[in-house]
Amino acid sequence: MSTLLQNNQIINGELTQQSYSIDTFLGAGTQGEVYRAQANGRDVAVKWYFPHYIQNDLQLRQRLENAIRKGSPDNNFLWPLELVTQQNNNTGFGYVMPLRPNNFKSIVDLMRRRAEPSFHALISACLALSESFLQLHAKGLCYRDINFNNVFFDPNTGEILICDNDNVDVNGATGAINGTPRFMAPELVRGDAPPNTESDLFSLSILLFYMLMLHHPLEGKREASIRCFDQSAMNKLYGTEPLFIFDPQDNSNAPVVGLHDNALVYWALYPQFLRDVFTRAFTTGIEDQHGRIRENEWRVILINLRDSIFYCRCGGQNFYDSDSVKNGENQKCWACNHPLVYPPRLRINNAVVMLNHDTKLYPHHTDRSQKFSFATPQAAVIRHPQDPNRWGLQNLSTNAWTITLPDNSVKTVEPQRSVNLTAGISINFGNTVAEIRV
Amino acid sequence: MEIIKRPGGAMANRPLHFFWLADCSGSMYGEKIEQLNYAIRNAIKPMQDVAADNPNAQVMVRAVKFSTGAQWHIATATPVEEFKWDNLTSNGVTDMGLALQLVAEQLDVSQMPERCLPPVLVLVSDGQPTDDFNAGLAALMSKPWGKKSVRIGIGIGQDVDLEVLQKFIGNPEVKPLQANNAEDLVKYIRWASTVVLQAASAPASQVKDQVSTGVVPIPQAPVASDVEADDVW
Ligand SMILES: Nc1ncnc2c1ncn2[C@@H]1O[C@H](COP(=O)(O)OP(=O)(O)O)[C@@H](O)[C@H]1O
Ligand SMILES: [Mg+2]
Ligand SMILES: [Zn+2]
Repeated sequence: MSTLLQNNQIINGELTQQSYSIDTFLGAGTQGEVYRAQANGRDVAVKWYFPHYIQNDLQLRQRLENAIRKGSPDNNFLWPLELVTQQNNNTGFGYVMPLRPNNFKSIVDLMRRRAEPSFHALISACLALSESFLQLHAKGLCYRDINFNNVFFDPNTGEILICDNDNVDVNGATGAINGTPRFMAPELVRGDAPPNTESDLFSLSILLFYMLMLHHPLEGKREASIRCFDQSAMNKLYGTEPLFIFDPQDNSNAPVVGLHDNALVYWALYPQFLRDVFTRAFTTGIEDQHGRIRENEWRVILINLRDSIFYCRCGGQNFYDSDSVKNGENQKCWACNHPLVYPPRLRINNAVVMLNHDTKLYPHHTDRSQKFSFATPQAAVIRHPQDPNRWGLQNLSTNAWTITLPDNSVKTVEPQRSVNLTAGISINFGNTVAEIRV
Repeated sequence: MEIIKRPGGAMANRPLHFFWLADCSGSMYGEKIEQLNYAIRNAIKPMQDVAADNPNAQVMVRAVKFSTGAQWHIATATPVEEFKWDNLTSNGVTDMGLALQLVAEQLDVSQMPERCLPPVLVLVSDGQPTDDFNAGLAALMSKPWGKKSVRIGIGIGQDVDLEVLQKFIGNPEVKPLQANNAEDLVKYIRWASTVVLQAASAPASQVKDQVSTGVVPIPQAPVASDVEADDVW
């Protein structure tokens, strides 16, 4: 329901002098309303501020002008492109940004299960988020309001978009927005500190936990014991007495069966290394800003997590957990409850990559000097053209690989050729060595 | 067959009970009651949209009407997705206190689920109570869920007793809203059923300087439009 602008109303771009024609209303927030608009047959989004918000946020205009001048940290931000104003209206203004395409869904859709990504797509979205916030923070900026409503993702591909970039400012600057309850770092909830990069990192951990577990990491027994979930309850849970629901030292806030089932289901499903990093995020990272998990660590963890996915015969995506395999635990498929059969896998340094029928390796895996690069596939799992029971790893790179067989004989795998997925074969990609396990 | 991609259910949430308390006294007769009916109908879709975008709450709606006596207009807590508004008619006096009594009975711990979000009560009136308002308010405030409720007061026209609405609200930082024309009424009703609803369950971005005392922080209400002569009651 719009209140500020009308259909077909014309507003003017300050930079380009273009006229934008207001089309449909898209959504409202605390600061303003967002509309679709057209200029020269091109669709864009326009955010127009509430008059009372403009009065409250005196740096808004300056901040937007800075953001527009500096440009977007990367392509995943719906970044302000130019300011817009209206004839006969001296005080009102807004900004133009790219329009979010329809294939992008909100995190609320994910929470309500109106969007159902595969684990693979979901983890890709988490990874993309970590990378985009890294870009923003690396530029010396602070986002201030990481929450459900400002992030969108494509459930099929895991691509992401980040909107509401008008609070972004140089880290340390004073601003009008303190964050969104449930996402704010405890020191902000208590009013002890203003938002900064480290409080963004806390909010990012909350968002990632929500996305992966469909639950809040601090809502356990203590939440269950609260009858009326009001402001003082929230201050306690997220500010003065925050306690991780899986704190290894203190189980007084453990999840309650029947109330917090998602947390229990997902926590058990993911590998130990993911549990470890969340445990750090919400134990040492809860009070100590220096203990917060940084984006680069999330990137490593999330890539490893995505590489641990393998398929059950039923099609369900499961996770390989080398810790539980070492402990001799028999994993069962969460979807069909059958015992899991592990496919061949590749051990690269400390990480394990499952070699599924559709696995590809990228420079991130094969070239030590190109960590985090997923530009072009360097290898792909492939079925033998004559013998459908034989699987191999095809060299898609431009360099020959050197492989060492279990009997210590050495062979070369030229580009386009493949090596059998046989236990004990080690592959030297150039500066990185990996070993096939079955 | 679509395979299930990930286990588990939707994110856990809590019920949020929302109550309309509508003045149907004789003074509301004619345009005022029709404008109230229109404003509430107009707010249904935005209210449903806000609820759909809020994974923390399961919104349930009820309504009380008061004139000579008070009655349930919507007696059963209705999921907001199924919420419909039958038009109110008006005549009689303004037994506002009795309306508060009715709501108070429903906010008794024996009637409420064990775990909830703060209930939201929106009181709309154009006059002053003719019965014992204070007794009604006391009954409401004697219930823990009454005390924890988020209360909004909307006055219609010039004759409304703003002091009574302020007492009902019970927080000096939140003022009653006075609608002097149909457009403002639409705006205020929509604000109460969207922004306040949201604030009571999943507070939005925290803007500095907003009202932060009370059960939950309440974002700023919309400002009244410039009064146009032909649109004044
Ligand atoms: N670029 C965009 N394209 C499409 N919809 C958008 C875009 N930006 C924002 N929206 C919609 O508008 C809503 C409000 O925008 P937002 O910037 O978050 O407002 P606020 O900062 O006032 O909370 C968002 O939740 C989203 O649904
Ligand atoms: Mg927002
Ligand atoms: Zn299975």
